[in-house]
Amino acid sequence: MSRRDPLLPNAGIVARREYRDRTRSPLYIASTILLMAIAMVVALAPIAVRYVDRQTVTRVAVVSDDAELASRAVSVADSLLNIPPPGASAATWNRPYSVEVADDMATAEALQAAGRVGAVMVVRRLPTGQVDVALRSSDGPNSARSQILSVAAFGIGVLDWSARLPAGAIRDPFLTPAFRVESINTATDAGAPLDSRQAASRYLLGIVFVILLLISIVIYGMWVATGVASEKSSRVMELMVSAASPRQMLTGKVVGIGSAGLTQYLAIALPALILLALQDRIASAVLGADWIAGAPLGGLTPALLLGYGVFFLLGFVLFALIYAAMGSFVSRPDDLQTLSLPLSLVAMVGYVIAIVALGGGSGTVVTVASYVPPLSPFVMLARLMVSAVQPWEVVLSIGLLVAAIAGVAVVATRMYAAGVLLYGQRPGLRAFVAAARRAA
Amino acid sequence: MSLEIDHVTKRFGATTALDGLTFEVARGEVFGFLGANGAGKTTTMRICLGIVRADAGEIRWEGRPTADLPRRTWGYLPEERGLYPRMGVLDQLVYFGSLYGETPDRARRDALAWLARFRIPDYADRRAEELSKGNQQKVQFIAAILHDPEVLLMDEPFTGLDPVNLVLLREAFMELRDRGRTLIFSTHQMEMAEAMCESVAIVDHGRLVAGGRVRDLKRASGRRTLHLALEDDPAPSWLATLPGVEAVRRDAGDAELELLPEADPAAILAVVLSHGVSVRRFDLGEPSLEALFIEHVGRPSDDDATLSPEVAAPSLSAGGLA
Repeated sequence: MSRRDPLLPNAGIVARREYRDRTRSPLYIASTILLMAIAMVVALAPIAVRYVDRQTVTRVAVVSDDAELASRAVSVADSLLNIPPPGASAATWNRPYSVEVADDMATAEALQAAGRVGAVMVVRRLPTGQVDVALRSSDGPNSARSQILSVAAFGIGVLDWSARLPAGAIRDPFLTPAFRVESINTATDAGAPLDSRQAASRYLLGIVFVILLLISIVIYGMWVATGVASEKSSRVMELMVSAASPRQMLTGKVVGIGSAGLTQYLAIALPALILLALQDRIASAVLGADWIAGAPLGGLTPALLLGYGVFFLLGFVLFALIYAAMGSFVSRPDDLQTLSLPLSLVAMVGYVIAIVALGGGSGTVVTVASYVPPLSPFVMLARLMVSAVQPWEVVLSIGLLVAAIAGVAVVATRMYAAGVLLYGQRPGLRAFVAAARRAA
Repeated sequence: MSLEIDHVTKRFGATTALDGLTFEVARGEVFGFLGANGAGKTTTMRICLGIVRADAGEIRWEGRPTADLPRRTWGYLPEERGLYPRMGVLDQLVYFGSLYGETPDRARRDALAWLARFRIPDYADRRAEELSKGNQQKVQFIAAILHDPEVLLMDEPFTGLDPVNLVLLREAFMELRDRGRTLIFSTHQMEMAEAMCESVAIVDHGRLVAGGRVRDLKRASGRRTLHLALEDDPAPSWLATLPGVEAVRRDAGDAELELLPEADPAAILAVVLSHGVSVRRFDLGEPSLEALFIEHVGRPSDDDATLSPEVAAPSLSAGGLA
């Protein structure tokens, strides 16, 4: 438009109306309270699980014809299954497993059928001298318990073999070898690689963050699109176009609805975060002194929170501008679902690559996607959570994102200006893309 | 000092909405912008407001091109009526007033005064969706004038109003005019324009076909309107066959005959009397605005023969993914 109105105060006035309009609606208030409660329950869930867990002791029955083999199996399995967490006092710590010898196979099977035994280990010595261990369990071979017991089987075998060495052979006591993973592409905290506990925490937090980012961008972005579309369908847009410039309206909408989204978001996340931060204290109150920090926030640093905030805001603004332009192109809010699907899919692609990055993926696709908008908010956030990222990479990613926002803002404003007065057209994706090309 | 529409041309794809449209509106006038649907009225107003850009030509107010004018110069009542459905009436009025630079306090005070004037003071705290169409229209009118604009552009302001509200709106028009405001409204209802306008512009297919003071236009036209009242049969079918009669409108007990410039009243009276009827009224007067409209456009104002370019515009090829 020929007239160049200053952004303020009208963008602010529009933003305030949008914010109030959202935050005062009963649906908004109800959903915020509900989600807040759910988030708090989820935050407390680990403590509840452990509380219940603490009460139960899983019994493992060992069946063997050879009494020596049976007692060896019990002691190895017991020592591997019941490793106290660091810092727990052996005196008061409750062992989660009880490994005991069953009289015979029939007894063990009856116990297992009755649900009183979680797993049965059948240990035999084959004619070749090899030790054969069968684990009867509802778990699959990949469960943590199966994995631990496979190590136990190896231990039983080694001990059995060494016990049958010729008499008089001199041997040192058996020492369990220590094992740890030293990842070369891992997140660091003040230069030092994270320990495994923190790394696991980062991975989980990364998943939570990326999911939250996807949900909030798509949901709050759709709020913007439906806001624009309903202004059009109620024809109040006709009054608006003479009262404010497209730039003012667009900015006001994105800022106002973005703030309403952010408010809801903080209302949901803050209580849950506080609960998580206090988890150790709550846990030691509920579970006693033997609670060992699960440290769900152990990997969280202020810098990461800041990074999350930055990528959330920039990502939202980028997507919201496109959503607003889409909203200006439909005559009825119903048509929006069709038109906005491709954009939601783009966000999904970012999400999927981010999940790959969280799982340790560090290939070219992940690296490039962490620089290129609109995928970068998701992928760079994921990389920041779980791997070492150079400062220049973060700067490049944010710089490209800001540049993309500036470019998209210009195009979106022009499309919005053309779209808001357009009625009766079928909202084709092709028409939308053609208009975007003309506006660019 | 005036509003000048200076050779404004606007095309939407293959459709020419405005074709070198030129006319002038004096400050402080009530001005009728007349034309059938699709004549280019809405497009002209949107160009004034800067919502749509002209392909050629310029619109100036007080000698300044519209692009240099502050937004609050204009008040705009769009043809499509709409408010925020779930927002309170007073809240939206304050909102629109604020966008035009009013302080919230002043906007609130003025809005309440206008609501009282329009006899809907109790609706201030209601949601807009709870109001009837007519009342919504009055609220929209208030939204357009709350910032006291110098020029008020109204697109078909009378459609959908009942007689009581029509009177209220007309009184508001007159008051604004007396305060020196310039009022421009588009309409295809010639009676309304006849009753309220000092000057008009008649447009057809984006071009000015006649314009100026209504009085001058009527004088310049050779046409006259004959009010004829007959005893017994108010409007017999042979009226249309009278010499020099172009059109006949029947009112209750009365007939209005639009006469061509060459018509001879004495000859008409002679033919009427020759039918053996007794004449109660034979009153020769200035042509109606409707007659002028027909004279210049060639068809009545409510004849929607042409498709509105606003409907087809701004043309994007429709289609794409269904």
